[in-house]
Order: sequence, then C-alpha cells, then structure tokens
Amino acid sequence: MKKILIIDTRAGNLFSLKAAIDRLGFNTTIRSTPDHEKFDGIVIPGQGRFGTVLNNIRADGWEDYLNLAYQQSIPMLGICVGMQIFFEHSDEDKESTGFCWMKGKAEALNFPKKPMVGWAPLTSEQWPSSPVYFVNSYAIRKSEHSIATTTYGETFCAAVKSGSFTGVQFHPEKSSKAGSSIIQQALSGLEN
Amino acid sequence: MNNIKQETTISESTDKHLTSQLMPRVIVCLDVDKGRVVKGTNFKQLRDMGDPVELALDYEAQGADELVFLDISASNENRPTALKLVTDIATHLSIPFTVGGGLKKLDDVKAFLDAGADKVALNTTAVLQPDIINQTALAYGSQCVVVAIDVNKQKEQLGLYINGGRKLVDKNFFEWTDEVADRGAGEILLTAMHKDGTGSGFDTALTRQVSEQISIQVIASGGAKNEEHFLQAFQQKADACLAAGMFHSGEYSVIQVKEYLKAQGLNIRLS
Repeated sequence: MKKILIIDTRAGNLFSLKAAIDRLGFNTTIRSTPDHEKFDGIVIPGQGRFGTVLNNIRADGWEDYLNLAYQQSIPMLGICVGMQIFFEHSDEDKESTGFCWMKGKAEALNFPKKPMVGWAPLTSEQWPSSPVYFVNSYAIRKSEHSIATTTYGETFCAAVKSGSFTGVQFHPEKSSKAGSSIIQQALSGLEN
Repeated sequence: MNNIKQETTISESTDKHLTSQLMPRVIVCLDVDKGRVVKGTNFKQLRDMGDPVELALDYEAQGADELVFLDISASNENRPTALKLVTDIATHLSIPFTVGGGLKKLDDVKAFLDAGADKVALNTTAVLQPDIINQTALAYGSQCVVVAIDVNKQKEQLGLYINGGRKLVDKNFFEWTDEVADRGAGEILLTAMHKDGTGSGFDTALTRQVSEQISIQVIASGGAKNEEHFLQAFQQKADACLAAGMFHSGEYSVIQVKEYLKAQGLNIRLS
C-alpha cells in the first residue's frame, strides 16, 4: 500500500482530505513537522491564506524537505493555496514570497461575487472536462505549466504540472468521482 | 446604508456580462434528529426517513452538488453523537456539506468544522451575536460561513425571523443581508418562509433582488415542488437552489431535475 504524507499547514481541518485519500486505498499520514520516514507521495492541503501557509510551512521546517522531494521527483499534489505557494507571489499577501518552482502569481478573481463557490468544468487536453468543486477568491491567471483552465470572469489555471508536482486550484477531495481520479493520478506519479 | 446599496446595484449589474463557467448548484437538505434523517409531517410528529450517511451517499450518487444537514446539533445532550455523525458523513461523502442548527458560539463552530464539516450554517446565533460571522470568517475563511436567513412576507412586508421561524426580530431584512455579506459570510441561504411547504416555487423576485444586491452567492430555499421551480429560480439569479421534501418523498430524483435543467440549456453538472 502506497504511503502518502499530508502536510499539516496548521490552517484548517484535514479530516475530509485524509478520508478522501484513504478511500482510494492509500495509507495516509498527517505530519506537522518533517522526519526521516519515506513517503510515496506528498499532499499540500488547500486551506488558509497564502502568507500564513508559507510562514507555517517554513517555521515547521518543511521548505528544504519539499525542495528535496521535488528534486527527487516524488509525486506531489498541491491543492488551492497549497498549489499557489509554489509560484512566486500572491496579491492576497504581497509581502510573502513563495517557493518559486513556477513563475507567476495568484491574483484576485475578477467577478462580482467572491469567493467563487461551486462546480465548474475543466478545459484541458489531458484531463476529462468533468466539473470539479472550486472555492477560491484568488487564482493563477496564466502559467506555462497550466494543464487545465476554467473561467470565472477571467480564465485561470485550474491545474498545473511541473515535474512530479501536480497543482489544482479546485478541491479534488470534494469533487466526487472526478476528483478521486485526479488524486489517484497525481499521487501515483502517472503521466497524464 | 441600504439606500446607497440599492443604487449601486445598477452599475454592478453591468458587470454581469462577464463570462463564468460556474454551474448552478442543486442542494439537498436533510433534517436530522437523534442521528436519523427525519421529515416533519406536522408540528410534532417526525417521520424517520433513514440513515444520514446512506441517504447522503445516495444523493451524491444522484448528482447532488452539495448537502445541508440541519438541526444536527440542536440539543446539547446529543453533541457527541452529532459530532460523530458529522465525522461519519465526512469519512464517506466526497461532495461538500454544511451543518447547521443550534450552533451558539465559536467553539461550536470549531467543533463541527473539526469533525469534518465543510461549512456551518448560522441563523439565530448570527442575528443575536453577529460578530460570530466575522470571527468564523477570520478563523476559518469566508467559505466556511453560510448565513441562513429566514424571511417571511406578510402584507408586502418582509419580516426577519429566528428560532426556527418562531420569533420575529426587529431588523430590516435588506440591511441584514448587506450586513451578513459585509461581515464576511461566504454564502446566504435564503429561506422564504411564506413559500415553505406551499409547493408554489421559490420566491424568485426576492432571490433576484438579494442576489443583485450583494456580492456573495445566494442559495434559494422554500417552496420547490418540481423541476420548473428550479429553472425559474436559476433564471432569476439564484446561485444555488435547495430542496428537501420533493427529493425525500421520492417524487423527484436529483438527476431528473438536473437533466431537465440541462435540457433547458443551463450549464449543469451531471455526475
């Protein structure tokens, strides 16, 4: 059974995320600080603000751990803000700098109603167009790593892929079957 | 404050040509009592409709976009049972769900979110201690906060009610919807009491008015009996529609309603 690590970024409850990954047959562990145990995949959850999540992740000693995992091509899944922090910046917290694995920044959605709450289909050459569940006020508008987009006022990156890292702006753990297959694919390290 | 907002509605609505792929949501509401889903047949008699987890999974399979569990925590003695139920639901369900009823303080909110709920619905408590909206939004994010508003229209007057629709409060309805959005709620669950149980459809005019006035999503509730009622509400700017009875009775499945909406040209998720 593949072992999956969920990083506790101290920004919200991780119960339903863990349950969603466990349902797929993975053996999931939540950790708040790194240790030497080896995992087959890593999940960075999607709760909290850009600046807070980055501060917590760095304070808890995850930065080197994640950079190393990225170099070692360990499958990783970043959800919502857990994807945005691997870009450079966010308008949500302008003074914070992300991991800069990918160029670009998160910007406020340009639509009268915020947050965006609900299901939207994906436009993607690699993934099915099945709707997935979004809850966000900020998004990465453009990236060379984009593999799926959706539109809310403007078109933004719904998913990105860079090396072994898959990032999704939506919440696959809340996206029924469409979400499950995306989690499965990202954590199995399968090519799209 | 209210008057100013009414005027800005016009200029804001010019933005509405912006394209969006966000889909109108069909939400199923389940009333829970002592760990079972119940349906009120009259004031006191409650009919047992089944196990909440089984029903929830059935509605997910039917294509429900979200679920709302109400009165799950109404009595304090049942608190541990209610929390365990929320955890059971979160363990099995893979669509978002909201819990509400009887949340009186921030600790209650925390307990239910920690148990695995995605959002909490605040009604009476929000009216009596509106700061809880700000506090919850600050601590957990706006997306966790649904403010449920019970409104009753009598002789063209809109009255705001609390305590499960039993008590009228001295607060202007439109000022309250503004305030709720300003304080950081993520969504409003708007129940038109004068429509509830009538089967005559949602209060579409009111839904439209609120939806155009505020910058958060509005869930229409109260009065749905058939698929056309959903269409009417979505055409009048409901972001989501909530119903209970028509689904629990077996008269309609969620998929039937959604297939109809899709056939009418709406951007609908079919699972």
